[in-house]
Amino acid sequence: MKSQGAAAAATAGPEAVTAAGRGRRAGAPGAAGGREGRDGASGTARQGPARRRVRRQLVTSPWLFAAPGLAVVGIFILYPFVSTVINSFTDKRQLIEGKYVGLANFRELLHDDMFWIGLRNSTLYVLVVVPALVVLPLLLALLVQKQIPGITFFRSAFYTPVVASIVVVGLIWVWMLDERGLVNAVLEAVGAGKVGFLSDQWLLLFSAMGVTVWKGLGYYMIIYLAALANVPRELHEAAAVDGAGPVRRFLSVTVPAVRSTMVLVAALSSVAAFKVFSEVYLMAGPTGGPAGEDTTLVMLVQRTGTGLTGRVGYASAISVVIFVVTVALMLLVLRADRKEDA
Amino acid sequence: MRQSRSSRISRSPRGAVTAAALAAVMLGLSACGSGDDTGSADASGKVEGDITFQTWNLKANFKSYFEGLIDDFEKKYPDTKVKWVDQPGEGYADKISADAAAGTLPDVVNVSPDLVAPLAKAGLALDLDKSAGKYEKEYLPGAWESHQVPGLDGTYAFPWYLNTGPLFYNKRLFKDAGLDPEKPPKTYDQLFADAEKLAEESDGKVATLANVPAIEDFGRYGVPLMNKEGTGFAFNDAKGVELLTKYKKLYDAKALDGQALTATPESTGKKFLTEAVAMNPGSALDLEKFKKDAPRLYKNIGITPQISSTGKDNMYVMGVMVNTRTKQTPAAVAFAHFVTDAQRQMSFAKKVAIFPSTKGSLDDPYFTKADGSDQTRVRIAAAKSLKTAVNYTPVLFSEQMKVELRNAVARALQGKQSPKEALDNAVKSCDRLLKQS
Repeated sequence: MKSQGAAAAATAGPEAVTAAGRGRRAGAPGAAGGREGRDGASGTARQGPARRRVRRQLVTSPWLFAAPGLAVVGIFILYPFVSTVINSFTDKRQLIEGKYVGLANFRELLHDDMFWIGLRNSTLYVLVVVPALVVLPLLLALLVQKQIPGITFFRSAFYTPVVASIVVVGLIWVWMLDERGLVNAVLEAVGAGKVGFLSDQWLLLFSAMGVTVWKGLGYYMIIYLAALANVPRELHEAAAVDGAGPVRRFLSVTVPAVRSTMVLVAALSSVAAFKVFSEVYLMAGPTGGPAGEDTTLVMLVQRTGTGLTGRVGYASAISVVIFVVTVALMLLVLRADRKEDA
Repeated sequence: MRQSRSSRISRSPRGAVTAAALAAVMLGLSACGSGDDTGSADASGKVEGDITFQTWNLKANFKSYFEGLIDDFEKKYPDTKVKWVDQPGEGYADKISADAAAGTLPDVVNVSPDLVAPLAKAGLALDLDKSAGKYEKEYLPGAWESHQVPGLDGTYAFPWYLNTGPLFYNKRLFKDAGLDPEKPPKTYDQLFADAEKLAEESDGKVATLANVPAIEDFGRYGVPLMNKEGTGFAFNDAKGVELLTKYKKLYDAKALDGQALTATPESTGKKFLTEAVAMNPGSALDLEKFKKDAPRLYKNIGITPQISSTGKDNMYVMGVMVNTRTKQTPAAVAFAHFVTDAQRQMSFAKKVAIFPSTKGSLDDPYFTKADGSDQTRVRIAAAKSLKTAVNYTPVLFSEQMKVELRNAVARALQGKQSPKEALDNAVKSCDRLLKQS
């Protein structure tokens, strides 16, 4: 289906391009509809069918262009989305078709301790990770923004964790934080004693957050670097002339100039943080830490919904909750931005 | 001026942010569908046609064995063609469930009892009592029964290879703690006493066990796991509470490893290799690994039988099931039987440290005659114990139930709930999951 759409668009390609071009020129001055009507009435008989063809292509050709993209979105995003919402109202299992159960799954969620643990952990993840990922990469970007010899090395070095596979990164941190790992060896050498990074529920969660922040720094640093390049030099110079020190210049010039980028970073990182899975799964293990206390919502979806006995309906209900919370998070971030704007 | 600049910068990202966020959010959701068509259950026709055979993580090490086996089968039945696919060990259940839901499950599938139960309930596993009952007498009775599902009549897979193993222990660590390295614990009481001594003598640095008790440990301790009808779980009885209480004491004394609550079989295996833990259950396969990866441990390795209050060791069973939707039922049944018959199982057992489930095979000199090597000693002991061994894990004990039990055990060990309370809750959750399955 996807390749079919692509082929149709390809064959229609050149003709459609010229048609669209003509259409734009024709419709450019004034209200397109009225003009075309008048032109059509005064046009010769030979021009009539051609114009109609143009008009028809005006309607169809944009859709032909969009068809491959729309097909991908429809098949891989819209359809799974709608079917998840539908499943959330059924008791569908992996191997057994479900029947409609109304809000039963959502009611069950309210009494499911594991759901509340998951919601708590995912929320906590957002609260800790997002501020860190909004501020730290900006400072890092300022640090490597300067054009001094060898700076490219540092930029690349800070970006390396982004490129590395999360599984590899996770495993390395597991080894380092193990009771007999590097970190504990250092702590013991300085006489601080062993710390159970991987056995205490809170230390585990914060260790995973640490990995998320460490791995995300470089990615958001690049976004900030692009934004910083757009900050006009004159503003800094003017502020310096007015006697502003580096801190004052950072707060009064840099921060306002990259504020919209900060909103973008906050939005992207809060969605990612709320949906965290890999780091916690790798570090806390498939059980989600001792007694499952480090389970996040997405881990819960994976645990309840997969395998031969997976409860697809119930897992879908959790997914819907994740969707709603994430949308709410986005609105919150955007609203905060708008308020500051006004 | 600054105001207008910042609002101009922010306008375009806001649209982008909303779009990106929506896309990111929706990508988090997904689902599956399922098909419906049933093949014949009659296996008496002519053995012919193309079938697909799926194994579980066997291609890497046994490629030539299976290729030879398939050649032999195709020679015996010239009108057949067998396509062999292998799936990695990790995520095997997910792969099967995706295939089952999509209607692309292979004709003949390597399964274990807990995998076969949901497939049988969904009507995807062929009842062999009906289609292949004549072969039953070729297998050990316990092995044949291991693929029966409470609540359903029938047997849903041919028994294939069995595995069990001894308890390995580290003689050096035993000696350091002042214990006799030649007298490993034989009973649970001895085990717990030795474990506490080891922890005490090493200042809590050496734990004896690295795994929290799983369902098969409760079974081996003599705890009834399910009620007689197979309709509910029962491991919260006095015996179960007693076992968990003892483990709690071990955990507090650091005789159970501090990271046990989040341990995986791989992580505990590694702890034993690095001599951080004094005992670990294993199989004959592990001896080779010790020799290669941990020569220092291998020099001090002690081998002792599994500890059990019931007199019966735990065993793991593999099976081979036939998909009810196969278009070639006679060929699929014939092949599944061919893979698991006495001759094929015996030659497979000689390639790798597993044990055949066919009658009489365990009496072969290969499993009874000592030659002085550790490998053979372990093999003979395991073969002997298999004659009475039990697959303690209930067929209906799903992945989700394992997690419930594990979390309950963790809560009890951490002291957040009493052992009784924790097990009561676990039984309640598992019963609920059982009803939903």
